[in-house]
Amino acid sequence: MIAAHGLTKTYGATVAVDSVDFTVQAGRVTGFLGPNGAGKSTTMRMLLGLDRPTAGTATIGGRDYRDLPAPLREVGALLDAHAVHPGRTARDHLRWLAASNDIPRRRVDEVLDQVGLTAVAGVRAGKFSLGMGQRLGIAGALLGDPGVVVLDEPVNGLDPEGIRWIRGLTRRLSDEGRTVFVSSHLMSEMALTADHLLVIGRGRILADTDMADFIARHSRAYVLVRAPRPDELSSLLAREGLVLGSRAGLARDELRVIGDDTAAVGALAGAAGLHLHELTLVRSSLEEAFMSLTADSVEFHADTTRSAA
Amino acid sequence: MSNTVTESGLLPAPGAADRPLPAVRRVGFRQALRAEAIKLRSVRSTTWTLASLVVLGVGLTVIVCATSAEWLASSEADESPGSFVTWGMMFAQLSALVLGSIVVTSEYARGMIATTVAAVPRRVTVIAAKSVVLAAVLFVVGTLTAFAGYFGGNAFLDAEGVGLALSDDGVLRALIGSGLYLAVLGLFGAALGLLLRHTAAAVTFGIALVFVVGNLVVLVPGATGEWLTKLMPGNAGSSIATVTSFNPDLLDAWPGFAVFCAETALLLGIATARFVRRDA
Repeated sequence: MIAAHGLTKTYGATVAVDSVDFTVQAGRVTGFLGPNGAGKSTTMRMLLGLDRPTAGTATIGGRDYRDLPAPLREVGALLDAHAVHPGRTARDHLRWLAASNDIPRRRVDEVLDQVGLTAVAGVRAGKFSLGMGQRLGIAGALLGDPGVVVLDEPVNGLDPEGIRWIRGLTRRLSDEGRTVFVSSHLMSEMALTADHLLVIGRGRILADTDMADFIARHSRAYVLVRAPRPDELSSLLAREGLVLGSRAGLARDELRVIGDDTAAVGALAGAAGLHLHELTLVRSSLEEAFMSLTADSVEFHADTTRSAA
Repeated sequence: MSNTVTESGLLPAPGAADRPLPAVRRVGFRQALRAEAIKLRSVRSTTWTLASLVVLGVGLTVIVCATSAEWLASSEADESPGSFVTWGMMFAQLSALVLGSIVVTSEYARGMIATTVAAVPRRVTVIAAKSVVLAAVLFVVGTLTAFAGYFGGNAFLDAEGVGLALSDDGVLRALIGSGLYLAVLGLFGAALGLLLRHTAAAVTFGIALVFVVGNLVVLVPGATGEWLTKLMPGNAGSSIATVTSFNPDLLDAWPGFAVFCAETALLLGIATARFVRRDA
């Protein structure tokens, strides 16, 4: 289990991680979601003893990472797929890692096999594609058969096949009872991978929730209606107690009706003899829910009129 | 951690070891040492810098002895043959400085230092292991190179009757001293690498300090210049690597080497203290 208490990191006046508290439980995949620059990597680096917290603690099974007797046997981490010496072969990279933590030599070949790099084990890592580098990083994370696995943006730069492989991998690791902590800036990816969700924005935890709950709470639906006489239809629906959404961004002949009751809209229009040209159920995506949740916390907006100071 | 059976029942679950791993024991310096030895062995830059060290150290010594033997035997000679039998090591030390620097800076080029520190969180252990491996390799290769250069070069001096025997005063000390000097110079380069974290910067700074500034401080007038010359790292350290130094004003072999060791220890200490405190 991973636990953070009041974990804080500041760089001069900039607060990268702002007194966060959370735990990551074993046996499920916990997604760590946030826009770029939200503090995901910094949090993970503090967890692994790479960066020193300005305040607070991050522990693994109740202990500071630096106090683990053989860290790679307890925590496997993928932080940056480029973080290998380009002149060293995949096998040699794993060999020195194994040696540093008394991990038997046979594990090197086992993990190479598990990530599908056996055929290129003797190739220098500098020649690897991003996807192969990512697999090598994951091989390094799995080397010590650790109970805790921390993956920072593992699907970055992967092709669809690689992305599916990561999903299956994290699922099976958690099924084996391991603690799996995966960061991403893509809500859609997290929805497919994670059981539990930690949302971070501007260094603060914005949500700590079950994924199913999050989806139920945040996926809103509305009925999109296109009609030749939209104003008449709109007053009729409002009179009958339906809630109309904003017409901002819609065409002149379109209406938005909150909820998912397409049948009610159709029946009322039919009874009043009003024609409909379109009747569509629209569910707002999780991506939108995530965007609205973190809207105030993203550091750099593309929209210049709202750019943060 | 149980090793669950996957859907296929044939493939091992990812991550799970085929056979359970031995119980976790605390790892430390011994494991870090093995890891650093594998790291050093497994990159080509090590092979190339060590090859250049041998070629420069042996080759230049033989060439300069071969071409100077006749002159050294003549009445015009105003230098001692003792200055020539390890002559090539003056250039071989460049390779030692470069190797020491890149052993550290290569970790920073692509952020591999994070992987290293995650594997060995006690950072003093990382630096200690790196230092021991580096110094041991440079001592062995440097000493063998010095011996090979001596045997090759001295043959030409012997032919002219000005050769030095291994048993002559200072010869053995200079040969083993060459290995010692290169080993400590490698650590000096590693310390610069750890402070500057950039290969080009560390190598340039090291060469400037040891080779250029070391030879320019002679121009500083008076006792200040005299002492600066004696104490500059390359000057203090290198007298142990020659039977007779070209520069009679340098410190004696062992006191000079002690000064150089102290300077290197100080620099490496400062670099390590910074490495321990800052974010990896």
